[in-house]
Amino acid sequence: MSKANGHTPLRIAHLYPSLLNVAGDGGNLMAIERRCGWRGLAVESVPINPGDNPDFTAFDVVLFHGGQDVEMVLAAQDLRRNAASMRAAADEGVVILAVCAGLQLLGHRYVPSRGEPIEGIGVLDLETVGGNERFMQHAACEATVAGRTDVVVGFENHSGKTTLGPGVRPFGRVIAGAGNNGTDGTEGAVRDNVYATYLHGPVLPKNPWLTDALIQVALSRKASQPIQLAPLDDESEQRAHDVALAKALRNRGRRTALTPARLAPANAPAPVR
Amino acid sequence: MQTREGRDAAGSGISRRRRLSPALFGALIAAKAAGRASRVFGAGGGTSLPGMVARRIAPDVLARVRPGRDLHTVLITGSNGKTTTARFVTALLRGEGLRVATNSAGANLVQGVTTMVVEAADLYGRLAHGALVGEVDEGAVAAIAAEMPPDVLLVTDIFRDQLDRFGEIYAVAGVLDSVAKALPPSSTWAINADDPMVASLAPEREGKRLTFGFDLRRSTDHITRAADTVRCPRCRADLEYAWVYLSHLGDYRCPACGFARPPLDVAVTALDTLAIDRTDMTVRTPTGEIRLSIPQGGTHIAYNAAAAITVLVGLGVPAPNAQASLAAALPAFGRLERIRAGDRDIVLAFVKNPTSFNTTLRTLAIAGEPRHLLVAMSNSLVDGEDFAWLWDVDFEAMAPALARATITGRRADELGNRLKYAGVSPDLMTVVEDQAAALDRALEALPSGTPLVILAGYTPTIEFRQEMQRRKWVGPYWEV
Repeated sequence: MSKANGHTPLRIAHLYPSLLNVAGDGGNLMAIERRCGWRGLAVESVPINPGDNPDFTAFDVVLFHGGQDVEMVLAAQDLRRNAASMRAAADEGVVILAVCAGLQLLGHRYVPSRGEPIEGIGVLDLETVGGNERFMQHAACEATVAGRTDVVVGFENHSGKTTLGPGVRPFGRVIAGAGNNGTDGTEGAVRDNVYATYLHGPVLPKNPWLTDALIQVALSRKASQPIQLAPLDDESEQRAHDVALAKALRNRGRRTALTPARLAPANAPAPVR
Repeated sequence: MQTREGRDAAGSGISRRRRLSPALFGALIAAKAAGRASRVFGAGGGTSLPGMVARRIAPDVLARVRPGRDLHTVLITGSNGKTTTARFVTALLRGEGLRVATNSAGANLVQGVTTMVVEAADLYGRLAHGALVGEVDEGAVAAIAAEMPPDVLLVTDIFRDQLDRFGEIYAVAGVLDSVAKALPPSSTWAINADDPMVASLAPEREGKRLTFGFDLRRSTDHITRAADTVRCPRCRADLEYAWVYLSHLGDYRCPACGFARPPLDVAVTALDTLAIDRTDMTVRTPTGEIRLSIPQGGTHIAYNAAAAITVLVGLGVPAPNAQASLAAALPAFGRLERIRAGDRDIVLAFVKNPTSFNTTLRTLAIAGEPRHLLVAMSNSLVDGEDFAWLWDVDFEAMAPALARATITGRRADELGNRLKYAGVSPDLMTVVEDQAAALDRALEALPSGTPLVILAGYTPTIEFRQEMQRRKWVGPYWEV
């Protein structure tokens, strides 16, 4: 087992930062960059914009975040052009973190309750159907990454209901929240080093163990041998994690804690939280 | 006597109800009593309770009140700038001698707007005021505009704000689009043309439209990760900006479909932000140029002033006294509000979404602030549950100048972690759970001659002001 060193930078592809930017998910990139930086590990992040022709196999980490419906359609169009490259990266074990719309678009398709189905690229064996209730709440699940099993907390905000096929396993088991569909207790999906979740928050800054596990998987693959990361002082991360977990546990057993987009009728009583 | 006056008012031809209704009378008496009681007992100045009481008794109270012959009605909605714009409109109208009723404490939901109206009305439901100026939450504007169609409805902008409450910004745009279409043609639809989403709303609407924006040959901002609408609202192609003024506000056009910023009826043609408490600007209107010097800082202040002048243009009220009216327009509570705390200075800024946060930070940066910071976020109904947006705020730009940060509020955890990842050394940060204690700690550590900058979400802003009121540093927030 060898120590990580900073000679060759960890290369991160950040997908469509101008399209998929609504839920603070850019914090996931900051988490990886900072936690590498604090350990003296070099990071190079490359924004991938529509029209680019990236070779995803040349990266160690790919970040694919959530977005609004309109932007999701634009992202899907561009992603289909680059489907072969993304599939090759997944097959070769590149670490891919996909959140919300990212999860849905790596699946086979997303069938919204209104409008045309959006074709995904089938890197993950899952399918999503639009629902008429929105899951908007603090959530928590138990996940295993790089041999460590621990709690992952975040904030879910989606109306799509995802069903997993036999080609993937769940990323986590729901502790609190709706997870993939509000019924089967699964959260997210995993195959090889592709980790997909519905958890925003953003998810990585308040789950430092998960961030480090992903960095570790990526570095170990890059070095072709197991890499050990130096521990960091995670006091503020742990506090954020604990508060989010306490909030999620208060929602336990409820599939929707918050009332969704309630613009009309405007004088309806406001939701009680 | 009063009955005769009532007949006179009814005889003016404007009132919608000819006979007094017992329900309206009862609603108004009860509402006014509730307002007085609330003020006497100090429960928040009665900014929403009277409206709540009135609607309980007469749910259609807004449609039943009887505007006088020359009453001007204005509703102001949008994501950012509602309160300051409403204050500017109020100052301009008062400067021209009109009596104005407004919901100045930012009580901008249905009950707050109803409170404004029932307090302005007499017990017979007559409105003798010259103008009603209401700021209205995006979630409440559909109901209010339907019950009380305004002479002018102004939209400031659409930014991402409380996504866990409103869903997506496209949902907000959709609501405003239907509101515009439902407005009677006699109403003026006044909009920020620099906001592509706002400019694209209700293109087929009948009735007058007025636009405002910047006509500057330079950029005053750049597209950041907080920008929301950088794609064409019609065809989704990336917009091209000749100039970017504030987040996604700017002079844009779509290379694919030709959608472009519409011509400006009211335009800011010169802008010099001199300090965090002063903005000098020139505004072009259909009837000539106005030079303004406003005792508040930031490009957003120029937008709010242009918006307010657009409202007066829409009402057809000439504003020869505009310069003097706005020269005296001090910040609303918590809008970079300067507070003297014994021998220390405090600047209190209410921040609620990435754009308002970034705009505030950019304005503070003019003076090299913040150096000593007290920052607070809490989750409550109005603040929202989801604080992910903090990761879209450009704290990175603020980090180098920061000497000390005290962090408080019920979401101090998320805030502290965000600041750590923005590059603020944990050695400079102190988390103090109790807000009053946090205020004391921050002031204790403050070197003389340096202001304490407080950046706070809605609930913490109100709570800090209550604490400062107890200490006799400020008056009640609804009187600012």
